[in-house]
Amino acid sequence: MGTGAVVARPRPRLPGIVRLARGLAMPVGSVLFAFVAGGVIVFVTGANPLGAYQGLLCGGAGLACAQGENSALQISNSLVYAIPLVMCGVAVALPFRAGLFNIGAEGQLLAGTITATAIGVHFAAWPAVILLPVVLVGGAVAGALWAGIAGVLKATTGAHEVVTTIMLNYAAQWLLRFLIIGGPLQPPGEFSASAPIGGNARLPTFLPNDSSVIVFGLPATVYRVHTGLIIAVLAAAVFAILLWRTSLGYEIRALGQSQKAARYAGVSVRRTVIVTMLIAGAFAGLAGAAQIAGVDHQMTDKYFSDTTGFDAIAVALLGLGSAVGIVLAALLFGALHSGGAVMQSDAGISSNLVLVLQALILFSIAANFLGAILRQIPGLGRRPSAPAPTAPGAALVTEASTALPEEGEPAT
Amino acid sequence: MTAIGDILHLLVTANLWQSVLALSALLLLPALGGVISERSGVVNIAMEGMMLTGAFFAVYADLHLHNPWLAALLAMLAGALMALIHAVVSIRFRADQIVSGIAINIFAAGLTVFLIGRLYGLQDVGHIQNSEALPQIVIPGLSSIPFIGQVLFNQNVIVYVALIILVLTHVVLFRTRLGLRVRSVGEHPQAADTAGINVFRLRYGAVIISGILSGLAGAYLAIGISNTFVPNMTDGRGYIALAAMIFGKWTPFGAFIACLIFGLGEAIYYNNSIIHASPYLLSALPYILTLVVIAGLVGRSIPPAADGLPYVPGEE
Repeated sequence: MGTGAVVARPRPRLPGIVRLARGLAMPVGSVLFAFVAGGVIVFVTGANPLGAYQGLLCGGAGLACAQGENSALQISNSLVYAIPLVMCGVAVALPFRAGLFNIGAEGQLLAGTITATAIGVHFAAWPAVILLPVVLVGGAVAGALWAGIAGVLKATTGAHEVVTTIMLNYAAQWLLRFLIIGGPLQPPGEFSASAPIGGNARLPTFLPNDSSVIVFGLPATVYRVHTGLIIAVLAAAVFAILLWRTSLGYEIRALGQSQKAARYAGVSVRRTVIVTMLIAGAFAGLAGAAQIAGVDHQMTDKYFSDTTGFDAIAVALLGLGSAVGIVLAALLFGALHSGGAVMQSDAGISSNLVLVLQALILFSIAANFLGAILRQIPGLGRRPSAPAPTAPGAALVTEASTALPEEGEPAT
Repeated sequence: MTAIGDILHLLVTANLWQSVLALSALLLLPALGGVISERSGVVNIAMEGMMLTGAFFAVYADLHLHNPWLAALLAMLAGALMALIHAVVSIRFRADQIVSGIAINIFAAGLTVFLIGRLYGLQDVGHIQNSEALPQIVIPGLSSIPFIGQVLFNQNVIVYVALIILVLTHVVLFRTRLGLRVRSVGEHPQAADTAGINVFRLRYGAVIISGILSGLAGAYLAIGISNTFVPNMTDGRGYIALAAMIFGKWTPFGAFIACLIFGLGEAIYYNNSIIHASPYLLSALPYILTLVVIAGLVGRSIPPAADGLPYVPGEE
């Protein structure tokens, strides 16, 4: 084992610039790798990678648009996608710090959307001052409870949170389908959609909701970027403060370093596991609520194939589990998502290329730079792994050992 | 009370049990793959992606080669290649096996739809003719036994294959030297290595076999059941297989029983016009059942000791 010792060993303090460069090398390298490998895939299948990436750049950042797309609109779209990614990124990154792998952000987000929608439809007559907070808090509570199931199971029976959160994801997905296809949230005359939430349950957009106001050459109403952006930034800030400035944050980090050590330091492992999952779920549930209150205003079948909670895993890993990193990674993935649509219409390349890129980023982070992650996110350190430098040689050593006579089968 | 009577009636029809077995086999193949991979110590949550890849390439190959056998072979190859990525990333590079598994699933979901766009544009992928699908095999004589004949001897060829692989997996894992080695590598790789067992080779082999089996399941789904490819057509079946593996406590027959239970739920849904429970709620059942099992209400389910731990020679 010995991983705890490796992680805990104090490292010499390097000059700021060097540390920054080292910190950025892994994520930037992973993204570059993904774009190069993705470009090869595009090229091999007979399309033009540069055309594809031009579309992504246009749709993501409003740059180099081939068909005269409105730059401001593209940037607005990217931000809209980034908002839930920040919150879900936090929902994955916080448990990472405690050594827990929450791959259930998707289910927790859906629990949040369901609850927010139900409240927003049911109590539409309430004044906004009360209704909007209730919608958001309701979504967060639902997400927390959904994640709490995994937390309690982990704390009481040791059930692996990866497995339980996978099951909870699918349970939430099917629950959603049940609710809006012939279920209690489907209004008469609609199919696979809920009723829209009341006007008072909606998060305001930054621009006036008035199509006669022209902003950057388009009516203000087409820009969907909403005040959930502020909530997202606050969520990242709360995450950083919670982690580094509170005793709970200390306990979470201690748990991530070593369960044993945390126990000796007086940390209640069970309590911390449950509380961590509750808080993480609350962030994901809040993301779902903000998505309903800010953009979608109703649940539709597009949530059946929603992947925000899975994208958040890439966001948390690429952001190295830090608040600033998560925001930057969420902006990148938001831009990729928004860019995918433009790439599809301009270059005729399926927006699913974005998923391919995302998977390549994950491979690259996981494979090439795991050592770097382990140093950055103690949470992953629970899996014993050798320091990277010995890796190539080590594999050879075992290859060679097969040459030995096969004797002495171990008894089971 | 007629509803309960109707369900009881449904439970004694051969039609129902025929589709239970057919649907269980679809889950059984990736579940066995999961058992083999995790017994060797490599966590595999990538069956979903490997199945989906297999499904796509089965349809693509069948449409071009007009031969379901070659198509199934290519599907297995495609599954094996996806598994190889998982193996290299998690064994050679000692990456987090869960991250790698998630990446495989995302990769497969993205790549298949991307390829549809490149190969077929906006058109449909196209339908497989019945004559070019994996055939239903009616075993002469045996199939005319009342009830049992229809359930056991009138099935898609892949169902028989899956059942044979089930027995094979059990025998190899628990009755042979190779199986003992695979399990020792998954329980205590250091000890296995000391005894001269090649930890890496066994793990590579186990992961690739899980890809082959998942790819075959994808082919069965795409050119044996649905006869076309639609995006994300596996719809979580790879994860249900994962659930079956855990439910079955990492044993082939345990996983098979879990697959039968999950298959029964699905078959009741397809075969009934009586129960007015939402099919969507029924679909959530396997996942909830698995949560209950993991929660320890039906006995603890404990993975192999070294499951998920990259092997580092010389480290204890």
